[in-house]
Amino acid sequence: MVRRIEDLTLDDSLFRRIRDRVAIVGIGHLPFAKDIGRPISDTAVEAIQLALDDAGLEAEDVDGMCMFEMERTHEVSIARRLGVRNLRWWSKISYGGGASAATIMQAAAAIATGLADTVVCHRARNRGARTSAPWMNEREISIDDKALHSPWGLIRPVDVIGMWAHRHMHEYGTTREHLGNVAIAARKHANNNPYAMMRERKLDMETYRRGRMIGYPLNLYDCCLETDGALACVVTSIERARDLRQKPALVHSVAQASGPNPVHLANYNNTPKMETTSVFCAQQLWRRSQIQPADIDCAQIYDAFTPLVILGLEDYGFCKRGEGGPFTEGGRLELGGALPTLTSGGGLSEAYVHGFNLIIEAVRQIRGTSFNQVPECRTVLVTGASGVATSAAVLRGE
Amino acid sequence: MTFLEETPHPDYALPDVDDPVMRPFWDGARDGRLMQQRDRTTGEVHWPPKPMYWKGGDRLEWFEARGTGEIYSYVVAYEPHLPAFKHLLPLILVLVQLDEGPRLVGYMINCTPEQMRFGMKVRVAFKRLGERVTLPLWEPA
Repeated sequence: MVRRIEDLTLDDSLFRRIRDRVAIVGIGHLPFAKDIGRPISDTAVEAIQLALDDAGLEAEDVDGMCMFEMERTHEVSIARRLGVRNLRWWSKISYGGGASAATIMQAAAAIATGLADTVVCHRARNRGARTSAPWMNEREISIDDKALHSPWGLIRPVDVIGMWAHRHMHEYGTTREHLGNVAIAARKHANNNPYAMMRERKLDMETYRRGRMIGYPLNLYDCCLETDGALACVVTSIERARDLRQKPALVHSVAQASGPNPVHLANYNNTPKMETTSVFCAQQLWRRSQIQPADIDCAQIYDAFTPLVILGLEDYGFCKRGEGGPFTEGGRLELGGALPTLTSGGGLSEAYVHGFNLIIEAVRQIRGTSFNQVPECRTVLVTGASGVATSAAVLRGE
Repeated sequence: MTFLEETPHPDYALPDVDDPVMRPFWDGARDGRLMQQRDRTTGEVHWPPKPMYWKGGDRLEWFEARGTGEIYSYVVAYEPHLPAFKHLLPLILVLVQLDEGPRLVGYMINCTPEQMRFGMKVRVAFKRLGERVTLPLWEPA
């Protein structure tokens, strides 16, 4: 079942300074909305405040900050509004949903090296309005990587990902029902999550099949939501974490990877078989990890579109190449299945916030406070967007 | 060879044809030639192309590709789309594997979604979008 990684030896020399030595100790987010009615420069600060409250820490305890580069918020503005006395480390990470777990990785690296003690990571994004889609603003000269696809109208992320999805369907026999299984699993979880945008809306296979086609072979239900949201978490050393009020979610392994010959979106010439960036991220992740795919209790696999979950199941070694479709059968991704996945509803059915909600949900699972709690959940995988330069993390309980 | 002409929508995301690395590609397209870059000693074709100052750049050369390939993958785009592309919907976006190896993004002309097949043979066509920009496109071979 599980892909063996025989050729990879544990990368112990440097990584043991991070592995289980750093923890997520606070989480917080504002209610998700179609129109939150406030700028991200404001919502980001409140989300961070909520995460600090959850941890039992004060703004004065914060000395590091990590965030996304796309639709940016600003470190000094946040520090001022929040009351951070002296910021001494910060970083911004590119590639949208590829950045999610990387915020945890970079915070952990800063803490492990002593550059910071307590780092707040966040994502605030107002994407609820239809007109806020980044692709809708591609109306000017396309430069650099964009000139490789935008001039032909390959602009919408659904079409960029559709290329991988359709090839996978052709090559391995992955079906639209397999994609539907992903959408339905996420929706069932969202139906139990009071925060989820889709908490009231049921989805069955019949409804899924009838979904409006957006970019064949992907329909409306294969696409994530459009959401305004602001979320944050607090990362600190294990020593400090033990003095705090929440059960710490230990950062066991983290990785970032672009893969070879990368292109931001039309990343179709990286390998002979056109693998996604997650293949390369997974190699790094498991090499640094004493926990392997077979040991993972629960997975939060980045889901801007349903096929990314099927590719992710393969890329991260839960099944062999080409078996991601059948892996979704029999409720395997649902609570009670072999690998409960997207247990908050994910980007498909909770909120689309570039995957930061997947980190928050992973922490809830480790704490035992998820709305779809996996019994005795000790290990969780969280991944960033496949396709673009990406990231992933393994969290565990102490 | 099919050579179309169209006045681009004012908001069309036209490519930067002056990019120093990509320029031979766009210059060639304007003349109805599909240009690719290879290492003249190993024959390896680089896509996207490498800068000429790249280590090994002295071995790089641009050449005219055969302009034939096959469908590696495709999607059919429906609404919503940008104003510049609405007249083309449903738009058959393709990933063409050239005979020379690289996979290029493009779109189909003279073809319906029902006619599309994986592995289908295609040949290059061109569409002039004003003075400076010509796009390589694809049609059934």
